[in-house]
Amino acid sequence: MNPGFPHERKPGRSPQRQALTAIAAVALQFGKLLMESGASARQVEEIVADVSTGLGAKASELRVGYASLAVTVNRDDQTLTFMRKIGPPGVNQALYQHLWRSAARIRKGECSVAQASEEVNRVANSCSPHSAIVTSIAAGIACAAFGRLLDVDWSAIGPIFGASLLSQLVRRQLAHWRINAFLAVTIVAFIGSLLAGTGARWMGIQTVARDMVVSVLLLVPGVPAFNAQFDMLEGRPTLGSARAAVVAATLIFMTAGVWLAGGVLGVRP
Amino acid sequence: MNASPLALLGNALWGACASAGFAILLNVSFRGLPRCAAGGALALAVRTFALQVGFTLEAASFAAAFVVAAVVQFVPGSDLVSRDMIQVLSCIPMIPGGFAAKAIVGLFSITVQPSAAAANKALVPALVNSLRVIFTIGALGTGVAIPALLFRSHRPDSL
Repeated sequence: MNPGFPHERKPGRSPQRQALTAIAAVALQFGKLLMESGASARQVEEIVADVSTGLGAKASELRVGYASLAVTVNRDDQTLTFMRKIGPPGVNQALYQHLWRSAARIRKGECSVAQASEEVNRVANSCSPHSAIVTSIAAGIACAAFGRLLDVDWSAIGPIFGASLLSQLVRRQLAHWRINAFLAVTIVAFIGSLLAGTGARWMGIQTVARDMVVSVLLLVPGVPAFNAQFDMLEGRPTLGSARAAVVAATLIFMTAGVWLAGGVLGVRP
Repeated sequence: MNASPLALLGNALWGACASAGFAILLNVSFRGLPRCAAGGALALAVRTFALQVGFTLEAASFAAAFVVAAVVQFVPGSDLVSRDMIQVLSCIPMIPGGFAAKAIVGLFSITVQPSAAAANKALVPALVNSLRVIFTIGALGTGVAIPALLFRSHRPDSL
């Protein structure tokens, strides 16, 4: 059970401290959602600082970790530090954009702490991803385009498109069931490459192995790979290394799925 | 890759499709898709041209990422999609995912070879693919980061 923030459990504290606690809580909620939407550490630091100072803190410092955030805020000779966990990392550009716009309003002093808290909760609940069919078609188109960039045969585009489309549907369902992210990657890679390989073989295409790999490129963690490098280049090697390790593990689990499918089909990717 | 304007246009088109497709997966709004597609097309056009004039894959990827990031820094900002996201989405079609899968499968296969000589033979392509992945991703990240690090500080209010 979530025990809540200290100000929720100890209402007897001084008004100044309660106000500062509320500011830290809202700033951390912004930071948490930003991390979960795929923002880089620099973006998270900038927006959390905007929110903190816009809500009345004199100064704020943020420590960004892979699985947690800690913020220190200061006002009226009072200083406090809060830490909170971050949920599973993902990428959600619409959520990031909404949070950025909200933070810009808060920075201008247009919101009270209560309004900012309400705003961040509203944004979190309103930014749902595109529909399953739209994302699945997009995944199919992206992988088919990847296929052409890797010189796969035109006749292989159909199996790649279909396999990627179905893989994305499975991926979304596994995420809905909260299956472990790495396990889900292996399952999706297995299904995608098996479908693409079977389709390509049935159509008599010669590049079965390549088609199997192309159909699962939707799983390559591109944004985390770039964020890992940006974080390291901007002076946060610990966070960058953690992200890079997750990228490497994701690629290994993805390859395991392709490898298993290759074993079933008797094809060496 | 063929050395022709047609190949360049074709790759630009497929780069645009891949970037736009990934943009939807990453929940970019529909109105933000043209920017992402344009970035992907520019990146693949530059990379294809660089490969045609004799650059290595790593150097061509660096050049493409650098050009896209530089252009993105100077086009007007939008609240539909952030500059950072446009840069990353433009470069995603250049991430060597196929090489990565080949490299890992190659490394898997080394341990099951029947002899040391066969293992040695399997080791070289696996290592070449692994290094190619590492250098290409490094080139992409560095190419994107340099213009952003140079010009970002002058635009504190931009996305």
